[in-house]
Amino acid sequence: MNRFVQRHPVWSVIILLGAILLLWLIVSPWPAWLEETIDRKKVFINAVFNGVTLGALYFLVASGFTLIFGLMRNVNLAHGSLYLFGGYLGYTVSDYTGNWYLAFLVAFIAMAALGIVLQIGVFRRMEGEELRQTLVTIGISIVLADVMLWIWGGDFYQVETPDWLYGAIDLPIITGFKSDGTAVYMKYPAVRIFILVASIIVGILMWLALNRTRIGMMIRAGVDDREMLSATGVRIQLVFVAVFALGAGLAGVAGVVGGTFQALAPGVDTRFLLASLVVVIVGGMGSIPGAALGAVLIGLSEQLGSVYVPTYAVVTTFLIMVLVLAFRPQGLLGKG
Amino acid sequence: MAVLDQDRPGAGSGAREASRAELPAWLRRIHPVVWLLALFLLFVPAFTNSFIQFQIFGWAFLLGMIALSLMFLAGYGGMVSLVQMTVACVAGYMTAIFGASAVESISLFWPWWVAVPVAIVIAVIFGTITGALAVRTTGIYTIMITLAIAAAFYYFGEQNYSILNGHQGFNSVHAPVLFGVDLHDATPFYYLSLSLATLSYFAVLYVSRSPFGLALQGIRDNPRRMAAIGFNVTAHRIAAYAFAAFIAAVAGILLTWQNGQISPFTAGIGPVIDILVIAVIGGIGHPIGAFIGAIVYVVLRTFAIDILHNIGLDPSRFNMLVGLGFLAIVFFSPDGILGLWSRWRSSRSGAGLARVTGGGRGRDVE
Amino acid sequence: MATVAQKLSAAGTSHALELRGVDRMFGALAALSDINLEVRPGEKRAVLGSNGAGKTTLFNCVTGDFLPTSGRIRFFGEDITRLPAHERIRRGLRRTYQISLLFKGLTVLDNIYLACRGVSRGRFSFVRPRRNEALMQSAEELVDAVHLTDIRDRPVAELSYGQQRQLEVAMALAGAPRFILFDEPAAGLSPTERGELIEILQSLPSHVGFIIIEHDMDVALRVVESVTVMHNGRIFKEGTPEEIENDAQVQELYLGDGHG
Repeated sequence: MNRFVQRHPVWSVIILLGAILLLWLIVSPWPAWLEETIDRKKVFINAVFNGVTLGALYFLVASGFTLIFGLMRNVNLAHGSLYLFGGYLGYTVSDYTGNWYLAFLVAFIAMAALGIVLQIGVFRRMEGEELRQTLVTIGISIVLADVMLWIWGGDFYQVETPDWLYGAIDLPIITGFKSDGTAVYMKYPAVRIFILVASIIVGILMWLALNRTRIGMMIRAGVDDREMLSATGVRIQLVFVAVFALGAGLAGVAGVVGGTFQALAPGVDTRFLLASLVVVIVGGMGSIPGAALGAVLIGLSEQLGSVYVPTYAVVTTFLIMVLVLAFRPQGLLGKG
Repeated sequence: MAVLDQDRPGAGSGAREASRAELPAWLRRIHPVVWLLALFLLFVPAFTNSFIQFQIFGWAFLLGMIALSLMFLAGYGGMVSLVQMTVACVAGYMTAIFGASAVESISLFWPWWVAVPVAIVIAVIFGTITGALAVRTTGIYTIMITLAIAAAFYYFGEQNYSILNGHQGFNSVHAPVLFGVDLHDATPFYYLSLSLATLSYFAVLYVSRSPFGLALQGIRDNPRRMAAIGFNVTAHRIAAYAFAAFIAAVAGILLTWQNGQISPFTAGIGPVIDILVIAVIGGIGHPIGAFIGAIVYVVLRTFAIDILHNIGLDPSRFNMLVGLGFLAIVFFSPDGILGLWSRWRSSRSGAGLARVTGGGRGRDVE
Repeated sequence: MATVAQKLSAAGTSHALELRGVDRMFGALAALSDINLEVRPGEKRAVLGSNGAGKTTLFNCVTGDFLPTSGRIRFFGEDITRLPAHERIRRGLRRTYQISLLFKGLTVLDNIYLACRGVSRGRFSFVRPRRNEALMQSAEELVDAVHLTDIRDRPVAELSYGQQRQLEVAMALAGAPRFILFDEPAAGLSPTERGELIEILQSLPSHVGFIIIEHDMDVALRVVESVTVMHNGRIFKEGTPEEIENDAQVQELYLGDGHG
């Protein structure tokens, strides 16, 4: 952080000013001229919050993708399928038992188990053959998509939200004033706030695990320099299996999360695979903080884009990607 | 990247083949087969109906050309680009926009001999820019970046109504009538696509032994060394994208004429991945693999549902069949059907077995 | 001619290669520090030093495989510090690699043909080379020069280690080199192959200079007229082969490193 400030003083100032502007836009009531130019504050705040919570979901999916890629150079194009599979399983479990938490547990364990089977049964046999591994993941995604279509059909499903997360809660943000002068506070769905908090906790836990535990340090060392990892005599296969299980499990959990506040249907797998790709390309391949930054950026651009430039919402997202590729091909927080 | 390891036909350049007292063994062995195949392809319209000519062979030639452009980048350049189908669709869209279509508010109704070159130029520019972005990172990153760009185009097509007419796309984009011959008729279209596919196949073969093609293979094997003998590696890679884009663009225009329409659906993630599947099934080490893969794919696409139905299986499990077949190929023969073929041949001759290591293709080296 | 001479004098040097205060850091590790080096056109020089002394890093900075952290590099008077690698090669600089970096899927002749093509026009040519093409002929001459004629149509992957090393050298001789960097060309060669290599080095035209990294003093001292000794990323000593051989400090350095 300090080194960044030292190296790029101008950029630091710009980022700081941008953050202050954003904070001011969120916290203070908007003056009339601003509401005239870019619509009401409520719309903007809603888009920002939707963007950040969508980013939280993207982070859950993309963090596993980026870890697997960073450590094993395996572009897991079946990652979106793991997301959707986890979501469907979670839906089925919560539908039968009525227990939301059990849905997460089952989705995580089932997808982690699938990840372990894939790593041991498939990818270990073709280590170092990056292209062949990628081709295998394409095949797996085709097969899984058809299996899921077979079992769950083409309908839309939504995971039931538990009672205490129903409805909206008041946030300490003033969106405007009533005619009698009392402030109007922003209302926001509780389940989305929950997702945001949960993602932050997952992110912090991952950061701690990677920076404070022995296995985490090995993984980080492996991402930076894979030959060194095998040279240190670590049981590298065990680390690989653990990472693949964690990444796949996270995708499953994300599927339940996504199934709770969005919907599950065929095609969602591709959408979230692409989201992971873009997030990781923007944030920096193999970097967890990069995945977080990329996820929030992409989430925000999608939501703000769909409010302010509805016809070109997707284009803004990909424009970010193209700009990053053109000027910083290793990603915003990727190692050059 | 063992999949991309491939043999150089006969391990000799054209210049030296001529100097040999006799033709290399592989050439003598292949020749009758090639002649038979050429004869067969020439006379297909004599004994097939228009459906076979138009929907089976025509489609396979065009998909084969797009897969060929991927093969050129992947097999010779080591760059697995998933954007080739998108380039083809850009060309298709541009013919619809500059030429004639049912969307009169957008189409400019230029004559086809203006619209087609313009469409090709725009598609090549698109392919080149994509390449310039993709070559900034290398190796397996290329797949991710090109897939993301392909997806961007798909979503752009779905959302943009002012230029690309959104979800509907363009209908009634027809092949022109040339010297009184309607190229949209089955037999003329068959010969048109056959000749263009043949041309692009031999063009790729020829270029692979030219300085440009050799340099590309050198870059695949060792980019750092290429720079150390005076080659601008980045410029060469981008030029390869441009060349591949040209082939894909020509195929894309024909594909649009064949369908009579172009819409985002044609450029979707499925079709984009299918091109890679075709190239891999056929064998990504040699240009002919693209066409072998294409014919297998087209036959499966067209008849598998009926076959599944007839033998009492659920026809809707078609995709699972494709996925499992693809997995089997990747597992057991990374060099596709070509790899299976050369393995079968070398096991029959018994000599080349030692060279077939790790699923690689046997080499025809004396 | 006058303009060339003016240009050279304006640049303040007529050295083939000139390094001024070149540093190269890898993180906190200084692989090269404050390298000042001048080599005359046509000069044959050896660089000695233990592993990790920075010899190969020095080569990498000169050829542009990576950029120096600070300092300037001039090639025949022209500042090439920031020039991309391929531009330096086109100006007459050549190198070989310690670990053979060859195009394993291509034949021996194709490898050398590419090296010839890389420093001439038509790099993007779509026209297949003909047998009587000048470049193809010079490629064939190079193949003969390094005694690889019999196997010139074999893919490089099938070559023995020694043959690959010889191919490395041949590729550095392509075109009209003005200055060549040889990175341990004799390592792993048989005595016969060594003899052939020395022959090649001795038969280079007098205007073509080179720097050779070589552990084998016999090889090194038979082909060079000056020696630079490196230690811990710095230049430790410079002199004639005799001076270096009899230098007490150099002796000590080599003894200390167990080279005895």
